[in-house]
Amino acid sequence: MSYIVPIGPYHPALEEPVHARLYTDGEVITDAEVFIGYNHRGIEKLATQKNYIQTLVMVERVCGICSHSHALCYAMACEAIAQMQIPKRAEYIRVIIAELERLHSHYLWEGIALHLIGHDSLFMHTWDDREAIMDILEELTGNRVNYGTCTIGGVRRDITEDQMRKTLEMLDMIEKSNEAVKNILLADKSVAARTAGVGILTTEDALRIGAQGPHARASNVPVDVRIDAPYSSYDDFEFNKVTFETCDVFSRAVVRVLENFESIKIIRQAFEKMPKGPINLGTKIPKIPEGEYMVRHEAPRGQLCYKVVSNGGEFNERVSIHVPTFKNAPTVPVMLRGNTVADAGLIIASIDPCFSCMDR
Amino acid sequence: MQEYKRIFITKDEVVPTAERMKAAGVMLAMIHAYLRKDGKGVVSYEYMVGTGIESYTVDGENVLPSIEPIYDLGAQWPEREIHELMDITFEGSDTSKRLFMPDTMIEGQGHILVTPMDELIKKAHGEE
Repeated sequence: MSYIVPIGPYHPALEEPVHARLYTDGEVITDAEVFIGYNHRGIEKLATQKNYIQTLVMVERVCGICSHSHALCYAMACEAIAQMQIPKRAEYIRVIIAELERLHSHYLWEGIALHLIGHDSLFMHTWDDREAIMDILEELTGNRVNYGTCTIGGVRRDITEDQMRKTLEMLDMIEKSNEAVKNILLADKSVAARTAGVGILTTEDALRIGAQGPHARASNVPVDVRIDAPYSSYDDFEFNKVTFETCDVFSRAVVRVLENFESIKIIRQAFEKMPKGPINLGTKIPKIPEGEYMVRHEAPRGQLCYKVVSNGGEFNERVSIHVPTFKNAPTVPVMLRGNTVADAGLIIASIDPCFSCMDR
Repeated sequence: MQEYKRIFITKDEVVPTAERMKAAGVMLAMIHAYLRKDGKGVVSYEYMVGTGIESYTVDGENVLPSIEPIYDLGAQWPEREIHELMDITFEGSDTSKRLFMPDTMIEGQGHILVTPMDELIKKAHGEE
């Protein structure tokens, strides 16, 4: 018997609204469609009505999880048009916040995935650890989300010696607990039963559709902007591109857990090598000349692209935002085919979707 | 700073460029568009070449060939987005379903990125 099963736009397995329509034969999904746009706020339109600092504040609110990534990417695009060379210390602080953001985003995803597969004790454990990261972000920036750290020409807040010490203590704790999570994840039979062989996205399909970030790396596609096209001093640090070859939900979990170790490694190196000096160029309302530039940043979910077009005036001529979920969401129907309806929520969540980012 | 190179091409060069990039294993980062003051489109195909971006730009065209047959869904979604929000057409791309806006806004409506803000406010308040 054939059925059409709707999921969403409001569904317990989804953090944000999206609608998926599953075409099934009995319990098996034969095809699927994804419908987006439930969070569309017209942010790109609004950006044409605001000056560069107002836009910086606004784009930070595109997403509640990777807010720093949006501000960083927009600031880098403006700085590139204006040919600003920002202080090295500012670049290091940007990297530290970006990696802390990646850590808390990956922990958030791990918790949700574990909850969806029914491993609630580990879900609570990962979210408990995430709180320690959020506390440090609050300590460093004053906010748990929307950090307000980036400005055009650098950063707005410095990091003190005491804050460095507290962050390093937190990282020691997180590293130990991440090791424990990794060991459970790799050995637990119930995790394997719900994730191994589920929601497969082959390397060929990932390349064909253009998947990005940890989602692509879990399909053995070695893409990582931090290494492929270094920016903001990422080339000063030694870290690895994590890939895994099973191409299923299990692979996506393994990649994110292993990437946590790489982020910890980057933050430690950034503190160790932290240059002295100013943290910004002191420009309050920057003058952005006529021009355009596109920059890329490896946000927690993958490659984030910002293209800014300036006409030399007060407002942006155009701000174009392309987020990783926009690249990863089209892979969902491919992953759903051949799986059961019971796994649909987990498979959709496995791309670590951010519909708030995608809809803009 | 990441490299960014802008290269102007004609409408007829869009598909051959995409085919050349695909054959070289280059990924499409995004398709970006905006309208000039005279209403003509500026569409850029941003390819990740080496450590930088090569931006192949078609200036002054509002109808372009689709590169969906070459870059599949990676091109289809950006093309649908641009068609929906800016009314730039990609010939050969399936735009029969909406991506962001309600289905009723597909034909001739919902081009919010190119509609003046005061008109959008009037529409939102039913003052057309």
